[in-house]
Amino acid sequence: MRIIGVYNIKGGVGKTATAVNLAYLSARDGYRTLVWDLDPQGAASYYFRIKPRIKGGSKNMVRGKQDLDELIKGTDFENLDLLPADFSYRHMDLVLEDAKKPTKQLLNLLRPLSYEYDRVFLDCPPSISLVSENIFRAADILLVPMIPTTLSVRTYKQLLDFFADHKVGGLRMLPFFSMVDRRKSMHRDLLSQLPAVYGELLRTVIPYASDVEKMGIHRAPLGRFASHCPAQHAYERLWKEVQQWL
Amino acid sequence: MTTPELSFTLPDNLSDQDLLEGLGEMFRLEPDNRSGGYRTVYHDSFDWRIYQAGGVLAETHGATSHCLEWRDRKNGALLGTQPLTRTFRRFVRDWKSGEMRERLEPVLEMRAVLPRVELESDVRGYRLLNEDDKTVVRLLLEQSRSRLSGDTGEFRPLGRRLRLLPVRGYDRELAEATTLLMGRFQLRQTAPVMLDEALAAIGRRPGDYSAKLDFQFKPDQRADTVVREIHLFLLDIIEANVGGLIADVDSEFLHDLRVAVRRIRSALNQIPRVFPEEAEPFRSEFAWLGKITGPTRDLDVYLLEFGRYRNSLPEPFRADLDPLRDFLTAHRKVEQRKLVKHLKSARFQKLCAEWRAFLESPPPRSPSASNAARPIREVADRQIRKMFKRVLKEGMALHADSPPAELHELRKSSKKLRYLMEFFQNLYPAKEISPLIKSLKKLLDALGMFQDREVQANKLRQFAHQMEQEGTVQTDTLLAMGMLVDGLLRGQQEAHADFLRRFSMFAAKGNQKILRQLIASTATDQERTE
Repeated sequence: MRIIGVYNIKGGVGKTATAVNLAYLSARDGYRTLVWDLDPQGAASYYFRIKPRIKGGSKNMVRGKQDLDELIKGTDFENLDLLPADFSYRHMDLVLEDAKKPTKQLLNLLRPLSYEYDRVFLDCPPSISLVSENIFRAADILLVPMIPTTLSVRTYKQLLDFFADHKVGGLRMLPFFSMVDRRKSMHRDLLSQLPAVYGELLRTVIPYASDVEKMGIHRAPLGRFASHCPAQHAYERLWKEVQQWL
Repeated sequence: MTTPELSFTLPDNLSDQDLLEGLGEMFRLEPDNRSGGYRTVYHDSFDWRIYQAGGVLAETHGATSHCLEWRDRKNGALLGTQPLTRTFRRFVRDWKSGEMRERLEPVLEMRAVLPRVELESDVRGYRLLNEDDKTVVRLLLEQSRSRLSGDTGEFRPLGRRLRLLPVRGYDRELAEATTLLMGRFQLRQTAPVMLDEALAAIGRRPGDYSAKLDFQFKPDQRADTVVREIHLFLLDIIEANVGGLIADVDSEFLHDLRVAVRRIRSALNQIPRVFPEEAEPFRSEFAWLGKITGPTRDLDVYLLEFGRYRNSLPEPFRADLDPLRDFLTAHRKVEQRKLVKHLKSARFQKLCAEWRAFLESPPPRSPSASNAARPIREVADRQIRKMFKRVLKEGMALHADSPPAELHELRKSSKKLRYLMEFFQNLYPAKEISPLIKSLKKLLDALGMFQDREVQANKLRQFAHQMEQEGTVQTDTLLAMGMLVDGLLRGQQEAHADFLRRFSMFAAKGNQKILRQLIASTATDQERTE
């Protein structure tokens, strides 16, 4: 089982779209794939037409009273399952804080699923918190979607500083540009300058596309309703690139 | 845990239309993108190891994916999956690293995974939706046909089936659909994995090759009839393995063939006076077959052991050993070519044909061979008794400093005893004979460990000289081989101690008593008092 976190300190950068579309491609390739919607807003759950609710909330889950196994729901796609969000996830930090080894809880919860899934995508809430620290410990790779703006670059730096201060061994950071609008000069400038600064940047660039926004109308990954649109092609390229690190 | 899929056979008089209408009263139905033509190839080793271990391995060609699925053969649950981005690799060790490889490697070991059965399916797929238009169950209507892999003939049809694929977390809806199908439409469930059905359609069954001896003789059967049956089984094993051996699929074809030859030779010698004079020339012919298959097997053994050899050296010296592998591979190629020539020779064909003709001819009504018409139990008792005594005598005479030649003699006798006990094991109560065979096997393993190490050490020295003569070897490689020889000889000392322990376990008074009782039924008074 390989765990892929999709994360950024900043919100609205295309995290959920990335997690949902890459998970769809992973399942299509034949990998048994799970998306864990950790964001209390439950966007990933919504895209998969699954109610953002888990029995007993995050408290029972973290305390081990409710196995993850029983909370998982199958999506409309073969090999692709979802662990739904729950509104109680907004208090997950408090629950984690009470637990023993608070930064390793998510990994411990995922371990029993290791024979059932080949790929697990964690759709993470923004901001740095105990939840995100858990994600850093659990994940093998961390995909960081980044809009090419100065503000985005700044938050990426913050993340790197955080990693420098906290030992997170074995986690590979894979930032990439997301929601790119080539009509904007700032986007174009940063696209040409940043790869020289951040060697880890993936080559694939996800364009800004109205089709991605339409995922909310169709309540499905792009592959279901717009399999030939440029954004979907970009996600396919991204998935190919990410797999080299798995 | 994921709920396993459910499969139902569809009777001829039930149309898809009626079924879908019935389900449509309960769920909204949407056609699924799974509709279309599919091809599945079931893979397994020649001796069906994946199947024997409770699984099936299917290569599926879908509209968008090409992957390898490993499933539980009883309930169809997915145990592992792997996309196939390149051509299928025969040896698990060459697969992409991951859980599937880790878990299947100990099952398959050195055996190649081969395509066994092909399945073509026409599939119509539907999704059963709930009130949120969320898929809660997937349904497939399938019509499949199968044929043996490599066969270019017609596919044979299988029965129509309906499959319900559960969506995790929606068990209630699955149960509702199942109740409808089994209640209103009276459908009967069938195994979700189609391999058995696919094989049955072409008149085969999985596991139809096994080199394991499993005879069902009656104690009063005529000895010559029984021995013919044993030999026919062993000849079948030889012939079954020739194809894979010539095609050089994996090392086990040769191994199984050689074991069969050894058993034949042992049976010819250890069950004497059951065949007429005309069977005599076969002895030397099977000795020839044993001899010509030896060199390739020897090299196979070194190649199979190579990984272990390499890992037994300290890390900095391991790469130095790699030229040895190249040497072994090159020489094996030459030996294999010679072997294939022999197997295609008139002499080998004649041996098989004539031996079969002899074995299949009816036994003489009044045989000249003195044991031929005797009840098999009597003959088996006597031969086992004789060999058991020999093993005890030879084993008891051994001590910590006995020369290797004496251990070798004991190994030969023990192997003869083992074969005899295996041929005739069903004539004795399983509870009593099985532990004896097991204990004997362990003794043989220990003896093998002792002797093989010495043989390997000597052979490695011989290889070193040969490599030097061939003029390509580096000093570092020779040094690494020297370290290997040293390790093997040290291991031999440990094996010696282990052997003595194993022998005393096998020869324990309790075992002797059990065996004496087992074979006492037909002993003469003189034999009993001995």
